[in-house]
Amino acid sequence: MGDIMSKNIEKEALDNSLDNNIALFKRVFKDDETVIFREFQNKWLKAARCCIIYVDGMVNTEIVNENIIQPVLRSDLSENMESENLLKEFQSKIVVSNDVKTETAIDAIVKSVVYGDTLFLLDGYAEALVISSKGWQSRSISEPECAKVVRGPREGFTESIMVNLSLVRRKIKNSDLKFKFKEIGERTHTKTCICYIKDLASDDILSELERRLDQIDIDGIIDSGYIQELIRDAPYSPFETVGSSERPDIIAAKLLEGRIALFVDGSPFVLSVPYVVVENFQSNEDYYNNYIFGSMNRLIRGFTAVTAITVPAIFLSIVAYHQEMLPTPLLLSISASRQGVPIPTAVSLFLMLFIFDILREVGIRMPAPIGQAVNIVGALVLGQAAVEANLVSAPVVIVTALTGIMTLINMNFLSATIIFRNFLLLGASVLGIYGFFMCIVIMYLHLMSIRSFGVPYMMNVTRAKNSDGQDAWIRAPWWTMTLRPKIIAAKNLVRQSSAKSKEK
Amino acid sequence: MKKIKITFLILIILINSILFTGCWNYREIDQVLIVAGLAVDKGINDQYKFTVEIAQISGGKDSKTTSKTITAEGETMFDAARNLISLSGKRLYWSHAKVIILSRKVAEEGVEKVIDWYTRDSETRENVFLLVSEEATAKEIFDVESTTEGIKSFILGEMIKNQVSLSKAPITDILQYGIESKTKEISTIIPAVSLKKMNDKMVAQVMGSAIIKNNKLAGFLNGDETKDLNFIRNQVKGGVLTEEMQTDNGPALASLEIFKSNTKVVPAADGNKIKIDLNIETTVAIDEIEGVENLISEEQQLKLEKSTENTLKKQIQELIRKVQSEYGADIFGFGEKLREDKASQWKRVSNNWEDVFKDLKVNVETKVHIKNSAVLS
Repeated sequence: MGDIMSKNIEKEALDNSLDNNIALFKRVFKDDETVIFREFQNKWLKAARCCIIYVDGMVNTEIVNENIIQPVLRSDLSENMESENLLKEFQSKIVVSNDVKTETAIDAIVKSVVYGDTLFLLDGYAEALVISSKGWQSRSISEPECAKVVRGPREGFTESIMVNLSLVRRKIKNSDLKFKFKEIGERTHTKTCICYIKDLASDDILSELERRLDQIDIDGIIDSGYIQELIRDAPYSPFETVGSSERPDIIAAKLLEGRIALFVDGSPFVLSVPYVVVENFQSNEDYYNNYIFGSMNRLIRGFTAVTAITVPAIFLSIVAYHQEMLPTPLLLSISASRQGVPIPTAVSLFLMLFIFDILREVGIRMPAPIGQAVNIVGALVLGQAAVEANLVSAPVVIVTALTGIMTLINMNFLSATIIFRNFLLLGASVLGIYGFFMCIVIMYLHLMSIRSFGVPYMMNVTRAKNSDGQDAWIRAPWWTMTLRPKIIAAKNLVRQSSAKSKEK
Repeated sequence: MKKIKITFLILIILINSILFTGCWNYREIDQVLIVAGLAVDKGINDQYKFTVEIAQISGGKDSKTTSKTITAEGETMFDAARNLISLSGKRLYWSHAKVIILSRKVAEEGVEKVIDWYTRDSETRENVFLLVSEEATAKEIFDVESTTEGIKSFILGEMIKNQVSLSKAPITDILQYGIESKTKEISTIIPAVSLKKMNDKMVAQVMGSAIIKNNKLAGFLNGDETKDLNFIRNQVKGGVLTEEMQTDNGPALASLEIFKSNTKVVPAADGNKIKIDLNIETTVAIDEIEGVENLISEEQQLKLEKSTENTLKKQIQELIRKVQSEYGADIFGFGEKLREDKASQWKRVSNNWEDVFKDLKVNVETKVHIKNSAVLS
């Protein structure tokens, strides 16, 4: 393992002298003043000189004080001399902790200490106890800001991987739910966890995921986005081929469909693979609400995803190439709005859409208190004033606003929408509706060629078979969804045995 | 090598598919002049005199659409159309034109000659309505003030479209005219437009029809005659029948709104003699009886039905006689029907159909049902 930290300390080893060991760790943690060395001694047994080493702020001081220092100081150790190995005695009889390990490897010890464990050194032993005492501050479980629901669970993932795992575990109480840890990042040693249901997840997809994770060679992982990009299929495509969610209910549901989740420490966004295009339009609320309402909302999302990409291009091609397709009164009113406008429709569309993207980015970046000012400038000055000053025509502003709003419904689709919208607009501005359809064909071919972990990206979009389409454009009633998604959960397709659903 | 071949093949297909498409010019909507209607007259030296009404759009907050006419001449229709550019500066955009008004002189010379360009050109549309001006020129229809705000050609188009609830003029667009004029057995009719004095101003009125025989104008029928004609052609979709009634309180006029009308044309051959049976069945409702209340009784209704049937029958017979004797143009479509139903007879008479038509015996049967009586509650 090309571990950078271990290179500096691989020559080092623990020896029997406590002072030497302390000196060793002082060398390892040189210039790091957050590391605390606390030496103490049992009053009954003078030989029991010990030292604990921990990182301030990473440990729960209550555990260190009451469960490590206090028992060692207050116990009459002279009575406890049954075993030859005093350290073993400490581990089994003195230290009050749920997780105590004996460790000799320096790099493993250092890793544990910087991750909030307490190191316990005893004079005369070339071994050390690593006592679990993690206790740093973390954000409490709250509803994710960007994925709020009207109906559904209100909890979201946090930055702590163990809390996140527990959130999912609480939903799927089954020993088939498996968790496999993996460390990624040479410097950050970021803990990641592959989570799947053994009965359902495809072995091929699991081994492929593990292979891709093993291939990652990076010094640091700050967010799951790093891994998302490193393991994805079709790396140059604007379409996401790895899913991410901030909600435990969504991840649990995906696990139950046979997908595999990947938790990354420090990130509230949990990844899921494989990821197909319809998942962009699925919302957890579809499943909690009445199926008619859920289907309606999903159709709206699908429709807006299509229109957000196509509306500016269709508008341009009709207005600039195929005026005969307009009803006469509409033609007259569009013509009236164009009178005296110097900028061509195509250019003004590109310009206005670009300005809308700027406004969207500003909305995310700017400090909240000045939001009002930006809104006023954006909406009034750019929209109304531009029309009044005859710089752009009113229909262009309407199309831009409509497109902009529709773009924001499917945030997962944002990058693809923006890129392909401009692509189609370019086609339309060069060749009219003909160019538009040519670009549509190119986009469709691209979508059809993508796969996510071996699963076709457009799975279930164009299929007419009942069992395929029931969770794609619509959300069928639960009693009819007897099968899990094919290919993904090929191992165990039946979700509800048909006998049970017939009783319904 | 194979890869290069495939790349070239794809490139060739792509380039060809781009180059062999139709009109694909990028043109801003404000760079074209939208033609609303067209009037064709004869100019000096037998040239076509072309008057187009164009939509004039003013931008800004309170945008207003007015119209303006431009006149140019040319040896052919297309020549005249292109000559307009030298007067307007901008390309004319024909797809939204609603009417073509032909002057009497142009129509007498031949309708097909004029509309040939319009049916062949790629930018024009075949759903434009044809009109014949009863006035001296076609141009003057555009010169008068219109009754409602807006572009005159669009208003004329609406006038023709809404004939479905009036039936006093035919609805003929270029496509239909083309189909009918190519069927040589029948003559066609197109709506007529005239000027009428209203409050000391002249306004355009679409009423009556022009008879086109062998592609040339043969004569005009007035609005009431056109309604009877529409009964024979089975093209009545609405309209009003008025009938005088003798009541206890004196004479009164009843208005009957037409809801449905069905006409059956049955050609029959009696040896060498061809005759046509016309069966007209109309469903109407009483809409207005000038305040005479007892007309609503069933007895009165039956009486009204009978007298309406008789009036209608008389009018239709009169019309057929008039057309047979004055024009000899089969605008009723009897010949077409004969060809469909009695092919052998048609073959025998098709060569001198015009003479046969003139002496054709037509037996008219009318039936009027009064559906409801508009009882005041």
